[in-house]
Amino acid sequence: MTPSGMSRIPLVRSVLLVVVIWCAASFIYAPIFSVLRFAFAPEGDIGLGAIGELAGSRRVRTAIVNTLVVTGLSIITVNVIGIFQVAVLEYLRVGGRGFLRFAFLTPLIFVSVAAATGYGFVYGQTGALTRLLQSVWPALPNDWFTGTLAVVFAHTFLLTSFHFLFLRAAIRRVDYSTVEAARGLGASNMEAFARVVLPVLLPTIFATTLLVTYKSLGSFAIPSVLGGRRFDMVTELILTLNSLRRPDMAAMLSIGLGLAVILCIAAMQYVERRGSYVGGSKTPVPVERIRISSPFVNLAVHAAAYAIAVIQLIPIALVVLFSFAPARSIATEVLPSSFTLQNYVTVFSQSTAFVPLKNSLVMGASATMAGLMISLFVVNLAHRHANVGTTSLDLSFMAPWILPAPFIAIGLILTYDEPNLLVANRVLLGGFWILPIGYAVVSIPIMMRFLRAAFFSLDPALNEAAQSLGAPAFYRFLRVTVPLVLPVMILIAGMTLNVILSEYSMSAFLFNVNNKPLSIALFEGARSANPEQAAINLVYISLIMAFSLGIITLADRYGLGGGK
Amino acid sequence: MTRNHWLAGAMTFLSLLGTSAATAEPLVVYSPQGDERAVWIAEHATAAGHDVTILTAGGGELFDRILAERANPQADVVLGLIDAAMATLKAEGLFQPYVPKWADGLPEVYRDDADRMVWKFWQTPVVIAYNSDMLAQEDAPASWLELVEDRHAGKYVIGPATWQTTKTYLIGMLLRFADDGGEISDDGWDFMQRLYDNAIVVDSADAKTAAFVNKEAVIDLNWFGGVGRLADDVGYNAVMVDTEGGTPFIAEGIAITKGTDQLDDAKAFVDWFGSAEFMAAYAARFGQVPVHPDAIAAAPDSVKRNATLLRPQPIDWDVVAPRIDGWIQRIELDIK
Repeated sequence: MTPSGMSRIPLVRSVLLVVVIWCAASFIYAPIFSVLRFAFAPEGDIGLGAIGELAGSRRVRTAIVNTLVVTGLSIITVNVIGIFQVAVLEYLRVGGRGFLRFAFLTPLIFVSVAAATGYGFVYGQTGALTRLLQSVWPALPNDWFTGTLAVVFAHTFLLTSFHFLFLRAAIRRVDYSTVEAARGLGASNMEAFARVVLPVLLPTIFATTLLVTYKSLGSFAIPSVLGGRRFDMVTELILTLNSLRRPDMAAMLSIGLGLAVILCIAAMQYVERRGSYVGGSKTPVPVERIRISSPFVNLAVHAAAYAIAVIQLIPIALVVLFSFAPARSIATEVLPSSFTLQNYVTVFSQSTAFVPLKNSLVMGASATMAGLMISLFVVNLAHRHANVGTTSLDLSFMAPWILPAPFIAIGLILTYDEPNLLVANRVLLGGFWILPIGYAVVSIPIMMRFLRAAFFSLDPALNEAAQSLGAPAFYRFLRVTVPLVLPVMILIAGMTLNVILSEYSMSAFLFNVNNKPLSIALFEGARSANPEQAAINLVYISLIMAFSLGIITLADRYGLGGGK
Repeated sequence: MTRNHWLAGAMTFLSLLGTSAATAEPLVVYSPQGDERAVWIAEHATAAGHDVTILTAGGGELFDRILAERANPQADVVLGLIDAAMATLKAEGLFQPYVPKWADGLPEVYRDDADRMVWKFWQTPVVIAYNSDMLAQEDAPASWLELVEDRHAGKYVIGPATWQTTKTYLIGMLLRFADDGGEISDDGWDFMQRLYDNAIVVDSADAKTAAFVNKEAVIDLNWFGGVGRLADDVGYNAVMVDTEGGTPFIAEGIAITKGTDQLDDAKAFVDWFGSAEFMAAYAARFGQVPVHPDAIAAAPDSVKRNATLLRPQPIDWDVVAPRIDGWIQRIELDIK
C-alpha cells in the first residue's frame, strides 16, 4: 500500500487495519514461528534432536502406526457407507427416504467429543448396547469396544457428513440422459452406475476422501474417549509431550502432523482444480431414482440402508432418552422405565454443572464475534482493493485452515507462557482468554470462505449507486454491504458457535481452571463412575445436538451448507 | 474465576501506580489443599488476622502454573507442594529466603539450611493398602517390589504420572534399582514395564474410583489420607501395609515467592501457618501428621500413633529432583 494511498484511508479503517495486522502477527505468525523455533532450535542451536527422541519412543511409534492404520481403514469404510448412503438417497428408489435422510444427516449434528461420549455411553463398559449384546452373547467382555475397532467404527458412522453434503450435491448434477443412454445400450442399473454415474462423481469422491483423511489424521476426541488402554493417536501424543514439558518434541510431532495434513489439502486443491471441467452438463436432466428389479437385491439394499440408519440413530436416541431418565437408571437399565426433567434442572441450576456450559457460550460468543469482525474487515478489504498487501493479509488469516489445531495450540502455548511484548508483556497461558483466541484463529478461515462467497454474489451496481449519491465508503459499507451479507453472517455465527460448543482439540491444550469448557467437562464426565455426572453429560450432548439441529435446519433453508 | 484474573490485573495496575492501596489486597496463596481444607485454612487465617486468598488446584497443575507465571508471579506464598516440586521451583529461582520462627527444633530433613527458602511442615507416607473385605492379609503384597508378581496382576491401579502421589511411588520403586550415581539399571526398567503391564492404568480420579467400585481393583497405591477417603467413598475396609524396604514419605513445604509485593504479610502468614498451634489444630481436624516435634506433641493421640506407624524409605530429594522429569518421560513414552 503506497503512502499516498494510506493518507486517503479514513481514520477508522487505518485503526482497524493496525488491529487486524496485530492480530495476524500475534496469533498466527508468532505461534507458527514459536513451533518452528522449538522444534528445530530449542536451545538456540539448530538441531534435529527431537526427531531422534520421537523415533526412539515406543509410544510415539505406535501412535503413528495407529493413526495411519485407522486412517487407511476409515477411508475405505467411510467411503463404502457414505457412497451407499448417497446412492440410497439419490439414485435408488428406497422406501422411507425421509426417515433415512434424517438418519444419514445425524453426523452433522452428532460431532466431536459429544459423539465420542455418546458412543462411549452406548457401547462402553456399562453401556446399554454392551449389555444387550451380552445377553445374546455372554462371552463378550465389558471392554470389547476399544482400540482400532472402536475408533474406526466411530469414524465410519460419524465422518460420512462430507458425503452427505458434497456427494449428494454432485450426484444431482449428473445428467440423467447419459444414464438412460447407457441403459438403452443394454447396461444394467449397476453397470450404468459404475460406468456412467461414478466417473462423474469421482472428483467429488476423491475430495471427500481427502477430507476424511484430514479429519482422521487429526482425530482427537474419538480416540481419547474410545481408544482405551494403550491406544493413542498422534494428537494425543502431542498433548502428552506437552504435559511432560517437552515442547521441542511436541512441536516437532505437530509439524509432522501438519505436513501430512498440508499434503492432503494440496492434493485436494489439485483435484478440485482438475475436477472443475469433468463436471456434469450445463442443463442436466435430473436423476430419476431407479427401481431395483431383482427382489433379492432390493431386499438387501433396504436391509443395509435401514441397518446403517439404526446404527446411526441408536446412540442418539439412547442419549436423548436417558437424558430424561433418573440418574439411577443409567448403567442399570437398557431402556429407561421412568422419565424426569431433573437432569435438565440440575444443569441449569447447579453452578458446577452450569459453569462449563456458560464458559463455552461466553468463549464461543466472543471468539465468534471477534472472528466475524476480522473476517468481514479482511474479506471486504481484499474484495475492494485487491493488491499484494490485502491478498497476503487474506492468506495470513487462511493459514490456520491448513494447520491442525494441536499445531496452533502448541504455538500459542510456546508464545504466551511468558510475558510477551505483543500482548503488553502479559502471560496469556493459564488465563481465560487464550482459549477463545485459539477458537477464533481456527474459526476465521471457514468464516472467510463463506463471507467471500457472499461478497462475490453481491451486485456491484448497488454500491456504485450509493457512491454516485455521494455516500462515503464507511457509510456505504454499513448501509449497503452489511445489510446484504447480514443473513449470511448470522448463519456463520451460529455455525461457528455450534462447532465451538463441542470443540475438543484446541480446548484440550489451552483450557485451565479459569475457563473449563463444555467439551472438557464432557470428556471428564465420560470417565466418571458417578451416574449423576453421566446424566449431566447426556443433557450437555442433547443440548448441543438440539442447537446443531436448529442451525442446520436454518442453514438448509437459506441454502448454506446444503450444497457447497 | 474470571474475577481472579481481573483482580490480578487490577493489582498489577495499582502496584504500578505505586499507591499504598496495593497493600490492601489480600495475600495470594497457591495450595493443592482442596475443598473444605482450603476453606478451613482460609477461615482460620482470617481469624488470625491474615487477609488471604487461597487458589487451589491439583499439585501438578499448580506446579506448571507457577512455572508459567514465573515472569509475572501471581502467588505470594506457595504452600503444600511436595519435596520434589518445591526443590525444582527453588532451583528455578522462584523463591526468596526466609527463616520462619518455627524453624527452631525442626528435624534436619525438613529444613533448608543451605538456601533458607523451603520449610516442610507436615509429612505423608505414600502407602500400599488393600481392601480387606476381598483380600486376605497373606494374599496382599508385603513390599512394593512384590506388586509385579502375577497374583497381583489386574488388582492395582496406577494413576497419571503427573499426580504427586503416583510420581512418588514410581520414584520410590525406581530408586531401589539406582546405582551410586543415581542411574537406574535395566532390571529397574524391566520391573517398571511389568508393573505397568499388570496394572489397571487410569487417567483420572473418577476412573480410579470406578475400578474399585467395579471390584476389579483391591490394592490401593495412595497417600495416607487418600486411602481412608477412597475406602469410605467406595465402601470397604482398608488396611495399610508396613512394607519391607520402607514406604516413601513425602513432606509438604512452604515458601515465599520471589518478587512478592507483600513480603511482610507473607512472612507473618508463614510464621502463623507453620506454628505448632495451627499445625496441631489442623492435625486434630484432618488427621494430618505434622513434622515439628512441638506440633506432634500438641496433636491428638491418633495422629501421634500415625506418625510412627510406617517405616520410611530413605530418599534424598535434592539428588532425585533433577532426574525426575527424565524418568517420568521414559515411563510415559516407552513403558505406559
